[in-house]
Amino acid sequence: MNVFNFDSKQCLRVREQMDAYLSNELLVETTSEVLRHLESCEGCSYELDSRLRLREALRRAADKRLPPEHLREAISQRLRRAQPGFFGDFRVIPWAVALASMVLAVVAGQQGLRFQRGRQLVSSILTIGVTDHVQCAIKGHNYPEVANPPAQLRKQLGPEYAGLLPIVQEKLPAFQVLEAHICQVPGSPRKYVHFITRGQGTILSVILTRREGESLPAGRFLVASAPGGVDLYKAQLQGMSVAGFESNEYFGFVVSDLGQDEMVQIAARLAPAMRDALSKGAGTVKADNAPRNSPPDSGGVARRAPGWLSPEAENMR
Amino acid sequence: MFFRPKMRVEDFEAAAMPHLADLYRSATLLIRDPSEAQDLVQEVYLEAWKSFHRFEPGTNCRAWLFKILFHRLHHVRRRLIKASKMEALAGPGEEDKLTAEPPVPQEIRDEDVLLALAKVPLEFRETVLMADVEEFSYREIAETMRIPLGTVMSRLSRGRKLLRAELAEVAHSFGIRHLAKGTGQGESA
Repeated sequence: MNVFNFDSKQCLRVREQMDAYLSNELLVETTSEVLRHLESCEGCSYELDSRLRLREALRRAADKRLPPEHLREAISQRLRRAQPGFFGDFRVIPWAVALASMVLAVVAGQQGLRFQRGRQLVSSILTIGVTDHVQCAIKGHNYPEVANPPAQLRKQLGPEYAGLLPIVQEKLPAFQVLEAHICQVPGSPRKYVHFITRGQGTILSVILTRREGESLPAGRFLVASAPGGVDLYKAQLQGMSVAGFESNEYFGFVVSDLGQDEMVQIAARLAPAMRDALSKGAGTVKADNAPRNSPPDSGGVARRAPGWLSPEAENMR
Repeated sequence: MFFRPKMRVEDFEAAAMPHLADLYRSATLLIRDPSEAQDLVQEVYLEAWKSFHRFEPGTNCRAWLFKILFHRLHHVRRRLIKASKMEALAGPGEEDKLTAEPPVPQEIRDEDVLLALAKVPLEFRETVLMADVEEFSYREIAETMRIPLGTVMSRLSRGRKLLRAELAEVAHSFGIRHLAKGTGQGESA
């Protein structure tokens, strides 16, 4: 049996340094000291040998833990699925996404705003016609039960617009023209050339008013084009269906509580002829602050007071 | 730099895949469930690939991968401990095994040393693995495991002693007596 001198201070010191020695973490000088001691101390040499043996056994056993064949392939596939992609760098993606989102948001916002504004513009212009129909024809009931004679209607319209009467009569064969006049809505200087007709069990208005800088937006808001390239618009406003069109210096409206499509069909028949007539006759109904029963212009086209007047309007007279 | 040159997965694989065996080896010795270990290694590679732009070519890719391994291991460990699939860190009583230095068998079977290693508490086991199997320096271990250098040294010293003690127990339980000839030590172990 070998006897080791475990009690020597040098042995204790070397044993304390043995972990660092095994890991090659000792300074060169200290390593030399340990080596010198090991040469002369069988006990410490044996201890080092035991530790080295254990370490080698551990390395050998651990080295046999080889990755399964499929693992490399699985990793490779996952790496390719997780590839950064067209932008090249993961760091770029958040920036690119953020930038694209911002651009899209701005474009969408602008488009949305434009669309919203366009819709509002169409509605506000078509409301002009609907308001007159509701105020004058429906609420004001400014039409007779028996149609006024055409001569009276022409007189009320004046020579400037009298020529439009046969057009309305022709293009709306299913409707009888009960009344035709120049009128205003209280609180607004705008004047309307108003034909009130009856047919299909309801009252239908054909209304013209001079454009005052407004214009119906083009593109997606128009619903159809009448022959001759007149653009048509439609809407449902104040419980009424309205189809509108732009003609020279005028807006034209067909309003009733019938369906929107029917209004569009009537407007489509009416619009080209109206436009031609207006371009020839140069209607002179203008917005001004003149008394409502005064002629729309100095030419004295319409001399008849509107058939309806609100108390406010009456007071203005 | 807002945009960087496109990274190629082939470049990443060339740098990282040679270390697959090392990572898998350590993963299986730190997590007992082989499928969990495989998942862990896959996650390490995916995470490394995603942060490959931060890796500087020419630096120690292996140490970088092990750093990710231990970072992931921290999360996996918490999940597995919660699911009772993994042992918790060392509790009291482990120090009792360090009172003596038992003999090391002359011939050590792979399964014995691995069984002994599996019994070593995790924080000591991973330090022993990093030093004795993966051959990282103290400093690299400290950086990889994010622990102080002194902790590395103390854990390694204790870990080696615990492994030795566990091996002696395993050898004893299997009736193995391949002890050093002529030492007389441990004859009665």
